[in-house]
Amino acid sequence: MRQVISRIEQVNEAELLILKKRVRFATIALLAFAAIIGIRLWYLQIIKGDDFFKSSENNRLRLHWVNAPRGMIADRLGRPLIANRPYFNVTLAREDAPNPAQVLSRLSTLLAVDVNDLLDRIREAEDYPRYVPITLKEDLDWKTLVAVENHLYDLPGIRVEVQASREYLYENLGSHLFGYLGRINEKELNEFEGEYHLNDQIGKLGLERIYETELRGEPGRRYVEVDAQGFEQREVSVLQPLPGADIKLTIDRDLQEVAEEVLDGRAGAAVMMEVNTGRLLAVVSSPPLELNEFVGGISRKAWKDMLENPLKPFINKPIQGQYPPGSTYKMSVALAGLSEGVVTNDTTFYCNGAMRFRGRNYRCWKKNGHGAVSLERALAESCDVYFYSVGMKVGVDKLAEYAKSLGLGEPTGVNLEHEKAGIIPSIAWKKKRYGQPWHEGETMSISIGQGYDSATPLQICQMTSTLVNGGIRYRPQLIEEIVDSDGKVLKTFEPIVDGHALGNAKSLDLIRKGMESAVNTPRGTSTVAKLPTILVGAKTGTAQVVRVEQYKHLKEEDIPYKYRDHAWFTCYAPAEKPEIAITVIVEHGLHGATGAGPVARKLLDYYFKEVKPRKKDTENDHVAI
Amino acid sequence: MLRFDRRLALHFDWLLLLTVLVVIAMSLANLYSASYAGYPGTPPYIKQGYYYLVGFCLILAIISVDYHVLLRVNYPIYVAVIVLLIIAVVFGKTTAGAQRWIDFGFVKLQPSELAKLSVVVTFASYYCRKDTGKGFSLADLVPPALLLLVPVGLIIKQPDLGTALMLVFVFASMTLFVKIRMGTIILLVVFGLAVAPMAWKYGLKPYQRQRVETLLNPEGDPLGSGYHIMQSKIAVGSGQVLGKGYLAGTQVHLDFLPERHTDFAFSVLAEEWGFVGSVVFLACYFFMVFLGLSVAAVARDKFGVLLAFGVSALLFWQAFVNVAMVLGLLPVVGMPLPLFSYGGSSLLTNLAGVGILFNVRMRRFRAGSKS
Repeated sequence: MRQVISRIEQVNEAELLILKKRVRFATIALLAFAAIIGIRLWYLQIIKGDDFFKSSENNRLRLHWVNAPRGMIADRLGRPLIANRPYFNVTLAREDAPNPAQVLSRLSTLLAVDVNDLLDRIREAEDYPRYVPITLKEDLDWKTLVAVENHLYDLPGIRVEVQASREYLYENLGSHLFGYLGRINEKELNEFEGEYHLNDQIGKLGLERIYETELRGEPGRRYVEVDAQGFEQREVSVLQPLPGADIKLTIDRDLQEVAEEVLDGRAGAAVMMEVNTGRLLAVVSSPPLELNEFVGGISRKAWKDMLENPLKPFINKPIQGQYPPGSTYKMSVALAGLSEGVVTNDTTFYCNGAMRFRGRNYRCWKKNGHGAVSLERALAESCDVYFYSVGMKVGVDKLAEYAKSLGLGEPTGVNLEHEKAGIIPSIAWKKKRYGQPWHEGETMSISIGQGYDSATPLQICQMTSTLVNGGIRYRPQLIEEIVDSDGKVLKTFEPIVDGHALGNAKSLDLIRKGMESAVNTPRGTSTVAKLPTILVGAKTGTAQVVRVEQYKHLKEEDIPYKYRDHAWFTCYAPAEKPEIAITVIVEHGLHGATGAGPVARKLLDYYFKEVKPRKKDTENDHVAI
Repeated sequence: MLRFDRRLALHFDWLLLLTVLVVIAMSLANLYSASYAGYPGTPPYIKQGYYYLVGFCLILAIISVDYHVLLRVNYPIYVAVIVLLIIAVVFGKTTAGAQRWIDFGFVKLQPSELAKLSVVVTFASYYCRKDTGKGFSLADLVPPALLLLVPVGLIIKQPDLGTALMLVFVFASMTLFVKIRMGTIILLVVFGLAVAPMAWKYGLKPYQRQRVETLLNPEGDPLGSGYHIMQSKIAVGSGQVLGKGYLAGTQVHLDFLPERHTDFAFSVLAEEWGFVGSVVFLACYFFMVFLGLSVAAVARDKFGVLLAFGVSALLFWQAFVNVAMVLGLLPVVGMPLPLFSYGGSSLLTNLAGVGILFNVRMRRFRAGSKS
């Protein structure tokens, strides 16, 4: 060793010095590299520091929207009809699932749902950020919920989330009014840009849709800290949601229930209105929508079943069903005749069972004829010949004017979507619609509410109200008030007058008389509505569906269902001082009196036995205080 | 035999010791933060503490022997390291797809770490014995290049590209330091440029190529190989001027930052202490390298100069590659930050290097020449 060392000792001193000098270059290189690092640090931490800080916050903080409890829908007495209950949903945050296919196949076994259905949900949401949880299945039952919870740690990215959704306290009661909620779709997401999020529920139909904003409230926000696996570590900040407002309807739950019960799933509609305010006490479309099918997303099959149901549950019949008004239209014709001076109370026409016009026989429903009839009898016994005569004298355009003043031929403006207008023809209307002149014979048909005439049940009810309340046309109303979660009334709905019936009070009184007689004279068509203590006025009607020759001579009961006539019944009470009007139509119910009358009668009965005394009681209570 | 020479203590580099201790203290504090919650088993900072103690015993052992001993044992050391590397490749424990470890039961050894120091010693001895005054020709470089290629080849086989590159860097630094003819340098550069595309295509594994590509465009693959770089840059950048505070780094504590106690330990420091803390730390760190270079500048003989320079180059390159990687300047390669990252083999190797620095500095004057 000593040798080696000594040899190295002998190394030229100059060489050693040169090497030592070179250390300086190395030092300079060191400083240069240190400067590169320093500049990079400066760039990342000072110049880009803000951006990276935000990135780190985005890494760690997840924003969860907290949906507000949705407002309740209650009846006029404040009794809730629709409330909320928690639903447990399974969601997937793709960001946290490194192997979604595997997770989904495990999950599909636990949920007993086809894995393709789960994949479909994910494909729908492909364009959304990967951290947004996608709802895979709504409303888990308790057993499934426990099974999923127990496997959560094998299911990265899967979480169980609680969402409040609708609970229908009376099953399908008022289903058409309320509509339903559904998962928000692409179009709606764009429409309410930024306000809604994937998986949110939104009103799809009816009041749920119209008052979406009020019912929804304001969602809250939760910032939670998550780790790299997406597991929540803690809550960083919370903004509480603002609960939605409650809607108090003008509907009376009991009356609505009675009407639905009596209609018993037959296709048809019932409307009950306060004649002096336009408030609706019951609005029934039958058969109802199966609301619970919509909770958690309706299945394809249930949707198809509803669509293909021949009773057409998707049509909201009180406002969308357009039927020839039949004899219920005769009041309007009577009003026109009286007011135009074409007839007086004493004018009579002779009915021998038909009226001949230009070589064609226009029949009265009573084959053998009514004989000489005046207005009161004509209304009470619904003589067609009488109204053919009046109609012909008044003329189509005048008939239309009066009908429109009673609210026919136009949407009533009730607070529901997709209301239909019905048709009240005029010469101009036919020209415009068909490009053809009016044939006088057509006036015969429309005078008894057939032919081109069509109206919705709500319109007929409004017409009845207008005729019996002295001629004031109130807009039908569904909502009494909107009340926020603190009980503060946000909006009150006062009666709205949309117009007045043409003609004079005397004419209206005569028409009421005729309707009273329809109930209270032995040959009246509406005796079914007769109540022991309350005097009722009413009018039946038949909406002809189709004239098929081959069924002409059959007994009515033998005609196939879909060719049978629709049965109308419209009435009001008490006759002396009208309070309520009720209109019922039963599709293919054959005759007003037998098909629709019993529903109306039941409502009248219930109203005067149960609802009205109750109202009195509460009024007395107020006095007592 | 070994008589204590007062001058040894007199020439002991107390400043270097102090600097090293500061770096170590920072390392332990940082490791505590990087793994302070819910780490199974003995926490890394405790284990690392034990390694430091072992390392200081090692330093004591090294400084008690004259560094010239290495001139006699350099080849045996070299051969021993090669044997260990072969064992690692053949029998080694596979961790994350790489066979880097030899498991002795009580301790796991990473021979590639030892190879780093062995390369320093080998070339210091080799160049020391050569007359380098006139500068090396290409032919002069063939034998040392062969000496280099054996361990580099074995390490690439593991595969551990970072360490292999480190050997090349240290070799290149030392060779440049002892002087190469200008013509040779030009020739090597031209050759290097010619070979680079071939090496890119055949020399690198697909994932290694991808890492380089990722460096150029990390956002292109944020969940794949770009994840490390993105999360590390976010950690460092979000530290801003003063940092998020000790133990308060969200990237670290919410697991966004992978390998945060080993290769990415510096990101943790940068996130929690910000620009100010990072600069202070790096200043200490580079000052330590600077002190190593000063040892070279004052060494008594050529071997001492070369040893001190080699150790300094080793410390420097590891640190530079690691920090540049953490800051997204270089591709992600497995490269600990010496004396700072968690890991026993790396720590002991680098502390041994520091021991050599002390040794060279202490023996500026020939021990026992006059008494």
